[in-house]
Amino acid sequence: MTSKIPIILDGDPGHDDAIAWMLAKASDKLEILACTSVSGNQSIEKTSYNARRVMTLLGIDAPFAMGTEEPLHGEPIHAGNVHGETGLDGPALPDPEIEAEPLSAVELMAKTISTSSQPVTIVATGPLTNVGALLILHPELKPRIAHISIMGGGLAFGNWTPAAEFNILVDPEAADVVFKSGLPITMAGLDVTLKALVFPEDFERIRALGNPVAVVVAEWLDFFYNFHRGLGYAGAPLHDAVAVAALIKPEILIVEDYYVQIETSGDFCRGATVADHYGFRQQPPNTHALVDIDREAFIDLLAEAAAWYGKESE
Amino acid sequence: MSPIPVILDCDPGVDDAIAFLLAKQLPQLKVLAITSVAGNVSLEHTTYNALGLLEFLDWDLPVYRGAAGPIFRKRVEAAEVHGSNGMAGFDLPHTKREVEGVNAWDAIHQYALEQQGELEIIAIGPLTNLAMAFLKYPDLPQLVKRIVIMGGSSFAGNATPAAEFNIYADPEAADMVFCAGVPVHMCGLDMTMKALMTPDELDQVAAMGSKQAVFFRDVVQDIVAFMRRLDISGINMHDPAAVLYAADDSIFKAYPAGIRVETKGSITQGKTVTDLFSDAKWQKNGFVAMDLDRGAFVTKVLELMSKY
Repeated sequence: MTSKIPIILDGDPGHDDAIAWMLAKASDKLEILACTSVSGNQSIEKTSYNARRVMTLLGIDAPFAMGTEEPLHGEPIHAGNVHGETGLDGPALPDPEIEAEPLSAVELMAKTISTSSQPVTIVATGPLTNVGALLILHPELKPRIAHISIMGGGLAFGNWTPAAEFNILVDPEAADVVFKSGLPITMAGLDVTLKALVFPEDFERIRALGNPVAVVVAEWLDFFYNFHRGLGYAGAPLHDAVAVAALIKPEILIVEDYYVQIETSGDFCRGATVADHYGFRQQPPNTHALVDIDREAFIDLLAEAAAWYGKESE
Repeated sequence: MSPIPVILDCDPGVDDAIAFLLAKQLPQLKVLAITSVAGNVSLEHTTYNALGLLEFLDWDLPVYRGAAGPIFRKRVEAAEVHGSNGMAGFDLPHTKREVEGVNAWDAIHQYALEQQGELEIIAIGPLTNLAMAFLKYPDLPQLVKRIVIMGGSSFAGNATPAAEFNIYADPEAADMVFCAGVPVHMCGLDMTMKALMTPDELDQVAAMGSKQAVFFRDVVQDIVAFMRRLDISGINMHDPAAVLYAADDSIFKAYPAGIRVETKGSITQGKTVTDLFSDAKWQKNGFVAMDLDRGAFVTKVLELMSKY
């Protein structure tokens, strides 16, 4: 039997973060060592509360710690329009049974990584504030970090601004630290996540599974789908779930390796992920950029994961 | 339909030369004048090359000298692509033709007045001349119908990872043009990297036998060799694609977008930021060409070259 990949889930739940965590918990390939929250989709108070509620719903039994409201540099940006006032609007969720550890997200990450028997993979589905701070404050832990799988950026375009994707735009300095770290990075950017679309027939399939988690997931998707339809999207792009799918089922994704830099300044380009397509920088690639996905297989993965929670409760 | 009156603003430049060859034969265009700008090589060379190309083509057009460098910054060149004289070492015929006594931006304004709102500008070099014209003549936006440029990229650049050469050469000028109030049709690398002609197709042109057809193939040979080192077989017809677009955009796919130029930024200076769909919903000031029917493009080029 192959050993599970030990992971830390770092996110700003958020509908698609919550679904990413749902995938992670259901996978027999992953072992969740810790969860941490970051300010992004909503304020740190709200994303932390949501993280604890989601952990409770999913039965993630791991330590949790809160990040900070402020990015490493600059003012916080939130996406209340996307995820609602609570940051996770839609279905009623259980009251959290998980308490935050009395240490910061960064220190929980450091403690988890330093005490893990195996190098740890970080799944970062929000701004990279915690991961950036970890690399700045604990450079000695780098050899114990196996891999960083992020949802963020876009080689071809942005979403929050024409040039920048939300997670990178919120904390470009942190992203810059991460991309310069030399650690293996898998980037689920908009190039792939805008193809990871979920349609009503997909969430009806999940709803029909009938277990409490599946029903909640379907209701999150109702909310997320309706918001994106209003913006003119064909379906709901499940951005963050792709960063987890990349660990569980890499064979459903197309990867291209690039040297990627983060623009931290500029009038229009702050937060842009700039790939060196033609090798100007003469640098080896630092990023496995995901560029395409087998959407049907991705939906199957989601449905199988949601079904797992039904078996679990029997 | 009567042909579109256009000014060709350029920095010849190898692919500018091809653009001249095609522009002369396009029935949809009536080229009124050439304006030169520093870009691929110095203004001295681009102006000389413009005059030489007209001599070579026996084409009687006035040439107006434009800007010798960007408005706010130091000049960058692409001589490694176009050779030190801009024509890849190709000797154009000596000519007694001379530039007009009026500079490019004054000429642009004068033609725009004369054409009473019908003038279009095809700009296939850095956008310095156009920016100067808009700066000097506040009435110009009402007088120019459309601007078609070769420049920019919504995806990857060719001067830096983020920036295409013509925009990178004068980012402030480019942003001034995008903001001037005239619709700008951006034929950038997204489309022109697909406007490829293969060595076989270049040979097909040369086999037509006219001196223009042979020139077409020969002048691009250094670039073909350059491209081969990038693992691309053939040559991207950047500037010619913009000229064909201006004449007839039916074989191209372009989308309305808000377009601005990053003039600051540590790694993105000169990047055209194209808002094709983001949540920011910028006001649309132009179109971004993203694709073309390559087969139809090559057929068109062959047809135009067969007229020589």
